[in-house]
Amino acid sequence: MMETFHEFIVGGVLVAPVVFYVLVTLVLIVLLRPVLHRIGFSRHFSSPSIAELSLYIAIFGLITLCF
Amino acid sequence: MHAAPTRPPITFAGLPVSSWAFAIRIWLALLVALYVSFWLNLEAPSTAALTIAVLAFPTRGQAVEKACFRLMATTIGVAASIAMTGMFAQSNVLILAAFAAWMGLCVYVTSLLDGNRAYAAALCGTTVALIAMPQLDSPQMVFQAGMARGAAIAVGVLAVTFVNDFLAAPDFHPKVAAKIEALQLRFLSDASSVMRGEARSSIAAAGLLHDMTALRPEIASLAPESSSGQARYAAACAAAVDTIAALFLARALRALPVPVSSASDEQIIARLGEAPVAIGSFDRPLSGSEDIDSHDPVAMSRRWLATNLLQKNADTTQSLGALRAGIYPLHQWRVPLYRSHRLAMANGVRAGLCFALIATFLALTGWPTTASCLSLVGVLVGLSATVPDVRAFTTLAAIVAPISCLLVGILEFVVLDGVTDFPLLAIGLAPFIIGSALLISIPNLVLSSLGRANLVFTIAVFAPSNPQSYNPQTFLFTSLFLCLAALSLFVAQFIIPPLSNGDRLRRLMNAARRDLGGVEVHRHPRLAAEEAIYRDAVRVGKIVAAAAGSPSGAQAVEEAMWLFDQAATMRLCGEQLDRLDSGILAGLAEKARTSLTLRDARAISANAEAIRLAAAGPDDARIAASASLILAAHILSAPPPAVVLSCGDAP
Repeated sequence: MMETFHEFIVGGVLVAPVVFYVLVTLVLIVLLRPVLHRIGFSRHFSSPSIAELSLYIAIFGLITLCF
Repeated sequence: MHAAPTRPPITFAGLPVSSWAFAIRIWLALLVALYVSFWLNLEAPSTAALTIAVLAFPTRGQAVEKACFRLMATTIGVAASIAMTGMFAQSNVLILAAFAAWMGLCVYVTSLLDGNRAYAAALCGTTVALIAMPQLDSPQMVFQAGMARGAAIAVGVLAVTFVNDFLAAPDFHPKVAAKIEALQLRFLSDASSVMRGEARSSIAAAGLLHDMTALRPEIASLAPESSSGQARYAAACAAAVDTIAALFLARALRALPVPVSSASDEQIIARLGEAPVAIGSFDRPLSGSEDIDSHDPVAMSRRWLATNLLQKNADTTQSLGALRAGIYPLHQWRVPLYRSHRLAMANGVRAGLCFALIATFLALTGWPTTASCLSLVGVLVGLSATVPDVRAFTTLAAIVAPISCLLVGILEFVVLDGVTDFPLLAIGLAPFIIGSALLISIPNLVLSSLGRANLVFTIAVFAPSNPQSYNPQTFLFTSLFLCLAALSLFVAQFIIPPLSNGDRLRRLMNAARRDLGGVEVHRHPRLAAEEAIYRDAVRVGKIVAAAAGSPSGAQAVEEAMWLFDQAATMRLCGEQLDRLDSGILAGLAEKARTSLTLRDARAISANAEAIRLAAAGPDDARIAASASLILAAHILSAPPPAVVLSCGDAP
């Protein structure tokens, strides 16, 4: 059975759900950043940039899976 | 303070390995963007490739910040395109007028901002040029074109982010920290020159203000770089603001006479040199100055200034340490931008008129598909607003456009010559993309700009698609339109010339003179004194840039520094008088404010003495207010340098 995706309708225009997921992920990442700074997230990884990108992808994947 | 010895960078073919790594990263990001665009069957894969060219920066922070602004500006531009075509699609004259007005508005906003914010404002205009203008005859396609462009830009942004992250593109903050540290060292050297009263010290100080405030866009790029970016941004802002405040304090010290028993300038200079390596050394009192505070107002004022100067220098060092460590500094300052609405208005009106002139010319020719040419004109008008010298940008575009067309001709019809395999496309693109990216990484500004323009134009003319058409007619038309757009803008700017450096200088000087009368000495101004001094320094930086090459430039800069000192002194006094407002000295503080507003040196001195001798209020606040007023009495009574530019311009 195929997974169905529900488009979002903005002013009568169908918007792909991936756009919404990306935006929600971005908002979550922006909100998480002060927390990450406070816990010293970047100090725990040899490559903090890849770690932060991986976190972004993980959150994006979770949102896609849940909705 | 001594800089650690650095090893020379490893080079390959005369260029550092870091430049090669950057160029290869750009090439790889371009391939990823094109591959994904082809795979997803996007309608505008060339826009994804162009996004890579636009986001070609050697460090992550700059690319991430510009990517965010590119996405936001595209959204606004698409919305504006839909709105304008919806309202004016029935009349070509009206829609062209609307485009011209929109370009003018975008250029106006661009002139009010700096760095990537200015780029975003310009992109709002260029997005309309790229989406709405080519669809003049088919307005129903605007929405679809906007979506196609947005999707391609998103793919480009993701590609460049992935490649930069996985190939370990360097962080930006070490470079910014190194630049601020170099400027701090220059400040220490200039402070000695200022305090010894050497000739041309004002010019050197103005140069330092220019270089420090020019870092503002780079400092802004630190925030989105990582989770510690906001802390690093705050630290860099604090270091920049404190250095500028310290430079003012050094100049202020020079303005006061040296009493016999006070700490000498040489002593302060020596302590400045040692402060960065021993933070807190300013706690040690300056010799010979302890017992005279209650007798000699000038000595007291000098000691207060010297202590603050050493404190500011130590704060800068602390902020630089915080920048490197990714933590928040002890003091946080904002870095406000000086905005000249009159200059921005003049730029916006000129850009709008220029665009309207070219649009009229193209409409009168009656040539087919001139909308594409007008679209490129819109792009050039928008992008030219983001650079300080509009005419130089247009000249560069007029030179680079034919070179890029020639290179694309070689790439398309000699190197690739009809191939459709992606690996062959990747190999064929390599020398052109890597070569341009290497040029971008060269420190020489002209070569770097040439490389960036060539990279963008090459991709724009080549317009990779799946399958590639290899149509000579399309190539010739695109090349012709690009060259015609650059040439017509070049010619139009002779008819409606952009603001010259002389015009800019005159308007900035008039604004500085006008603003001196309105300096906030009332209670609790919107900006702290240090922040307001930074904003004034941004204007001095603009004046230095506009005065370059002008015969009367040096005198203008001298006057700008005199105005800067006057305004900064009044702001400093206002801040110190605020500290007396809660106590019983409030009445004296109000009198002092009035004397400052009237610029009455005798009354200012009398109020300073009254505050100093008052037997009430906290000692430190009383001494600080009195010391700053004594400084004001000296600085405000200093004669202005010869006025070289008339105030008669009417914007």
